[in-house]
Amino acid sequence: MSSQYETATVSVIDEEMLQKAVEEQGPKGQAGRIAKEEGVQYNELLQLRLDYRNIPRIDHLWQFTSLTKLQLDNNVIEKIEGLECLTNLIWLDLSFNNIEVIEGLNKLLKLEDLSLSNNRISIIENMDTLRNLQILSLGNNLIDKLDNVIYLRKFSNLRTLNLAGNPVCDEENYKLFVTAHLPDLVYLDFRLLNEQTREMAYAKYQYAVEEMRHNESQEQKAVEEEQRKEAELQLHKDAFVEFLNGPHLFDSMFADDAEAAKLAYIPGVATLLEYYQSQLVELCMQVFEAGLTQHGRRAAEVQCFQDCSREAVSDNQQRAAQRAAEFERSRREMMAEIQQTTDSKFLKSQINQYMDEINTLYESLMTMELQLVDQLEEIIKEFERNISDMVGEFIEVVQGIFAQCRDLENHHHEKILEIAVATLERVAKNELDDDMPDDVRMLFVDKDTVINAVSASHDTHLGKIDNREDELVTRINSWMSALLNSIHEEEVKRNRKRIAEIDHYISYVKEQLNDLSL
Amino acid sequence: MEVPSEIELSEDVAGQEEKANEEEDGLEQLQRDPQEVEDTLRDTQITPEVLNMLRQDHHVDLSQCPDSYKENSKQEKLLLAIAENFRSQYAHLYPDRKPLLMCPRNECGVQKFVSTTLRPTLLSHPELYSWEGCASFVSEFLSMKPLEPPFDPPRHLFSPALVLQTQRGTCFDFSTLLCSLLLGAGYDAYCVSGYAVKDICLLNQSRQECPLLVPPEKRKTEEQKQEMRKYSVKPPRDLRSSFKQQQEARRQAETEAAVHKERQEAEREQEERERPPPDSLLGLRVHCWVLVLCGKRKVPENFFIDPLTGKSYATTNENFLGIESVWNHQNYWVNMQDCRFGCAKMTYDLGDAEKWEYLLFGPTSQSQQLIREQQDIENEDETDEALFEMPQSWVSPIYISQEDMESRCPGGTKVTQYRKAKLEKFAPYLLKDGLVTRLSVYDDLDCTQLKTVKEWYKNRHDHLEEKELEKTSNVTVEHFSPGRNDALKRHRYTTLIPENERQMDFYSTARVDGLASRVETPFEMTETFEDRPDFLCYRHVIFGKWPDVSKGGMVPDQGQRPLQKVVERFHRDKSKPASKDVAERSFLVSEGWIEVTYHLEDDRIIPGWHIFVKPQDSRNSLNQPTFNSEMVSSFQVDPFAKPYKELFLYEMLMSLMKEEENVILRTRESEHEIKAILTLREQENSNTELHTSIYNTTKHEKARTLWREQERKAKEEHQGLKEKERDYLAPYLSKHGNPESLTQQAAIQIRADCLADLKQHLTRHANVIQARYEKETQQLQMKQQWFQKNQLHITKEEETEYLAYCSGAMLRIRVLKQRLNRHKEEASQRYQALDEKLRRDPRLANHLW
Repeated sequence: MSSQYETATVSVIDEEMLQKAVEEQGPKGQAGRIAKEEGVQYNELLQLRLDYRNIPRIDHLWQFTSLTKLQLDNNVIEKIEGLECLTNLIWLDLSFNNIEVIEGLNKLLKLEDLSLSNNRISIIENMDTLRNLQILSLGNNLIDKLDNVIYLRKFSNLRTLNLAGNPVCDEENYKLFVTAHLPDLVYLDFRLLNEQTREMAYAKYQYAVEEMRHNESQEQKAVEEEQRKEAELQLHKDAFVEFLNGPHLFDSMFADDAEAAKLAYIPGVATLLEYYQSQLVELCMQVFEAGLTQHGRRAAEVQCFQDCSREAVSDNQQRAAQRAAEFERSRREMMAEIQQTTDSKFLKSQINQYMDEINTLYESLMTMELQLVDQLEEIIKEFERNISDMVGEFIEVVQGIFAQCRDLENHHHEKILEIAVATLERVAKNELDDDMPDDVRMLFVDKDTVINAVSASHDTHLGKIDNREDELVTRINSWMSALLNSIHEEEVKRNRKRIAEIDHYISYVKEQLNDLSL
Repeated sequence: MEVPSEIELSEDVAGQEEKANEEEDGLEQLQRDPQEVEDTLRDTQITPEVLNMLRQDHHVDLSQCPDSYKENSKQEKLLLAIAENFRSQYAHLYPDRKPLLMCPRNECGVQKFVSTTLRPTLLSHPELYSWEGCASFVSEFLSMKPLEPPFDPPRHLFSPALVLQTQRGTCFDFSTLLCSLLLGAGYDAYCVSGYAVKDICLLNQSRQECPLLVPPEKRKTEEQKQEMRKYSVKPPRDLRSSFKQQQEARRQAETEAAVHKERQEAEREQEERERPPPDSLLGLRVHCWVLVLCGKRKVPENFFIDPLTGKSYATTNENFLGIESVWNHQNYWVNMQDCRFGCAKMTYDLGDAEKWEYLLFGPTSQSQQLIREQQDIENEDETDEALFEMPQSWVSPIYISQEDMESRCPGGTKVTQYRKAKLEKFAPYLLKDGLVTRLSVYDDLDCTQLKTVKEWYKNRHDHLEEKELEKTSNVTVEHFSPGRNDALKRHRYTTLIPENERQMDFYSTARVDGLASRVETPFEMTETFEDRPDFLCYRHVIFGKWPDVSKGGMVPDQGQRPLQKVVERFHRDKSKPASKDVAERSFLVSEGWIEVTYHLEDDRIIPGWHIFVKPQDSRNSLNQPTFNSEMVSSFQVDPFAKPYKELFLYEMLMSLMKEEENVILRTRESEHEIKAILTLREQENSNTELHTSIYNTTKHEKARTLWREQERKAKEEHQGLKEKERDYLAPYLSKHGNPESLTQQAAIQIRADCLADLKQHLTRHANVIQARYEKETQQLQMKQQWFQKNQLHITKEEETEYLAYCSGAMLRIRVLKQRLNRHKEEASQRYQALDEKLRRDPRLANHLW
């Protein structure tokens, strides 16, 4: 099919060719003249046709960033490349080329219509990202395995598929296989798939398709479950109390504590530990609950603030817009009037009057804006106060609970110490069982060792608790300051934008007037 | 008719009384042996007297009444006796109170107890399942006959069946019918005999507001109109002097107060004028209405229904002045409460024996009944046998036909006078233009100055439903139901001539162009659209003045008015960025401008726009219009945005110019449509047609004629078939070639053939019977011979078989013999009959005689 081109001279995509193609395909007549005068920007072009040109390599297309339709058919292209920048492409035609592998299309997320017919492709692949694909043409290629079709199940929008002229079409069940595996397909090989075919296909491949569907739905569910969990964790993180709804803190306290593992072997410690864990978990739960409720309250507060400020802004905007629209209407009338006046004196008075009006408009718009700024500032301040109160309150609560945690730890420590001393005495008296591991027994060589071990464990625990507390407090504080900063910034940005807008408009209006009076 | 002996008698049988009436001062109740009562009542048998008045008025054939109308059953007689005893004791104990209405005479002149006149009936009309439907039906279907005299209960109480037939009745008849319907529908309803004000008794509503004019109660405006939001911005500071404001407010308040006072005075004067003259019979006028108690059918509260108007009243309403007694189909209660201050403080716990004295012990009220039932179970043998229950109603079943349901009012029309308003009701299909209700509202009390006329129509072919004419401004508003080809919903106009002020609303979903309304004034037209795919929502057209005719020389035809300006507005199309989404296009046709304004971007206050000046030679298609940047002025909101490309502007101008032509075309189409609608409306008004649902068998003329036609055809076919069968001459006539008229010879021939054939047929028939007879006899004889021969050897089974055969054969023989005889008898008759028939046959008659 492409042999005839191979002998001919190949041509390279270069500036000249592009320029010519653009001019040829551009607007005609008067529009063409204007276009030519103005010059065409490649990055604004929406369509480009480069067919029948013996192009061996796709190149030099990076400028055409807003291209939606690109035709490169009937060339001698061997590799799909150089299309990464054309992210707006909707329609891509690469038929009648010498392509062997589907590749280099991953960036073309908007692609809906892809034509790769009359090439040398044997495997359908590397198109995972083309979720919007609706029409896929792969006729007259070298696809020889039916399994390739299963790959196309990914494309839920695919309605038209062309595989005619591939070796795979000679297979006995080709049509039914495709129909069964792509239930949403409407056209296959230029023909409408009728209900009868669908039924037959379904009957034939029911089992396989059902299984596939089942697996897919399972996967889907797993993904959803994952997402749900992530969302939950995110919520907890947003509330700054992640991993406090269980023995996580307790576990982490003992995970890094080598001594504790040894001490656990001392008789009587196990029950103590159990009690300790339950108490600590309970306290953690308290923090967790408090965190969630406080988070809810904070979120509601933020929501309320944002609603109110948005309402105020939109209300103000509406009024200002109305004012501006009224002015614009009268301005146009006035301009028309001024254009028609010939009496220079009258003209002057008119222009003066007009100037005054412009100034009043400017003033009133600015007043509105300043009012809004004042109002917003007030509520922002109030919000700031409230939110910092809330955060402070929360921190207080949390700190109280963590203090309880520390008390608990101290208490626990004392108990352990007691037991340790008692055990030491018993060890000294040799009253102890023999089943104590050696490294534990090593602790009880003298009093200092035991006490050191116990206090080291205690220190570790306290450190963990302190760390968790610090983490919570710093994070919530940084969250608050970030939030307030963003609110301030947004407000400043909004204000600047509005002022710039007013200025721009007023200067435009004045300019118009000056043009007219000259 | 006091029977003193009865009281003694009652004392005699006091031992048999089972009721638990232990009050000292209460009335004694009577339960007696039915036999005894019958004996006592035999002498006082009432002879049915003929009600002449009734007959004359309504031609009701009383003789066709069922027997229950003309005489009393045993139970009823017993009941009457009980009632009489009750009445006499009541009269004895309360000589001051008015006699109770207990046993009025019915249409046949027989005394019937009021409770038995109630016949609870549930009819198949869905309207009659709710109390509102029942009440409005009764009030509309019957016409009121005032009580004569107005301060005594009536002597007669007719059966609801008769009342329905005559469509006339007193308030007692009204209540009885309504109560029957309500009881049938499951309401806890009672007839109430009592006293009411004159307006209610005489069905005078001219002092009331028309219910159609009372605005529907406004729903409470959402209270939580927004609880002060925490962060709502404070309004900008007010910089005006508060002292001045106070002064201003005070001044305003003063003037307002003055105005208010004036208005109040005027209102008081008005009230004074409208107050009815004092009624000398106040508190004496007898009225009968219906009481519905709460509980059943989810009725939340007790209320009255006035059967004459069909309206409901609270039990505390001051129009009802007192209650003598209430009854339902099960019992009768006398009110023992003080009614000097109206019914406001009455309680309706009928089980309370101190407040309501009952006639029959037993089913007093629902709650009582339940308790009683429990007690019954406990001491069954004591109470069970002696309970006297209200006998079955003597009234024949109440039946309301579908036609009656539809036509409602007697004669299909009813006029009600309200305060400053007149309401006329017509049955559907009664009037040719489909009018069902007309409400005329007047400015004054005497109803002379018409203010508005509101008319409701039904079943009109042009889907007109409501028409309101304002007399002062002469504005007509018409409402249409969905289904018109032009999807017209509302039409407000003063005249049907086009290019005048009018407003047309449309069912926008039914229209392809999504048009919702079109407002016209002499030089403007505004159209609004809904849900269009191109987001167009508004089009405003300003027409220019007519060009000077003398200059143009041509007389412009209507609808070709020059366009001066067209403004089109669009909703926001979310798929486009706001700065590229057109919000408004104005085509200033006369000035050659086109203005395009875009939508506002988020938090912007000034939109972007283009103003194009159309190239002068745009009309000339050969000469491409030259385009230059002078022809367009644009404003871009974002000062940093790239300026528009000239190519883009050029293309835009071209498309806008095309669009302008389209807009002009569409405007012409709109004008055209208005004219078409107006002419159609004119036609429809002058020539109204009513349509009938194909499900309405009585009214749907076409269906009915079709149905009749079918029936007739079926009948004819049937008859034709029979006639053909019966045409005994056909084969003979065909022998002669079915001639139009027969010759005499042929006629004689036919007659002879005919008779000969009959003879032959008869003989053959006789021969067949004869042959069968002979065969049967022969067989029997053979069997008998065989039996006699082998009598000794045969088994028992064979013998029984033989005997069975013999009896069967004998029977057959007998039958055959009878048949033969009868055939012989009939044969000559049939021969003669045929002969007679032939002589009478019109085809032969001329020739045979």
